[in-house]
Amino acid sequence: MGKRRINNNIRKLRFFNDEMTQQELAQKVGVTRQTIIAMEQGKYSPSLELAFRIALAFDIPLDEVFSYDPETETN
Amino acid sequence: MSFQQKNITVSLVNFTLILGFYLIRVIQMLLGGSFNSTNVFRLWGIVIALAVVVTIFATILTHIVSAIIHAIKTGEEKSTIEDIEDERDRLIDLRGTKVTYFISSIGGFLSMLTFVFGQPPLVMFTLLIFFGVVAQIIGDVLRLYLYRRGF
Repeated sequence: MGKRRINNNIRKLRFFNDEMTQQELAQKVGVTRQTIIAMEQGKYSPSLELAFRIALAFDIPLDEVFSYDPETETN
Repeated sequence: MSFQQKNITVSLVNFTLILGFYLIRVIQMLLGGSFNSTNVFRLWGIVIALAVVVTIFATILTHIVSAIIHAIKTGEEKSTIEDIEDERDRLIDLRGTKVTYFISSIGGFLSMLTFVFGQPPLVMFTLLIFFGVVAQIIGDVLRLYLYRRGF
């Protein structure tokens, strides 16, 4: 069985939050900018704790940031 | 390039140079007929001391030089968030360490096999440190690859 893919709307949410930069979001949630980039590109799925911190940074529920697609498989 | 990537690059360069030095010295000993326990264990000591001391100093130097370059570029004196280690950094480090330990273990096993097949103990000790350094290099290459790929 392959890995399931977790999608996110971080890029869109940043845009609608006064065009927040990747660096600003990284500082808010306590990670590096490279981690935000990797998440936006779908290369890295964050831990549950980081996912909650990102949702809190945008002040929206977790499922509005992340979605789980069981049909999509990544390499 | 993040601080972690710089550190890994420095480590990779260090261990590649150490491996080069080690191989040259071993070949010199083999060709010169001085491949004996005294020289081999002295080389062991030199390689381990180099690995520890050079890595520590190179890491400190990298940090200082990076901070100076960053300060010149941006005019900021304080260190940025890029210097922190987050969960992705830790996972990448863990994957690299896993590969390093795996190769070290295989290398250790192969080294002991030479002893089993009648080679002198010096061959085993020479191969042990060779595989140790090679494992570190491969672990660093994997870490860099994961950073370049995203994860």
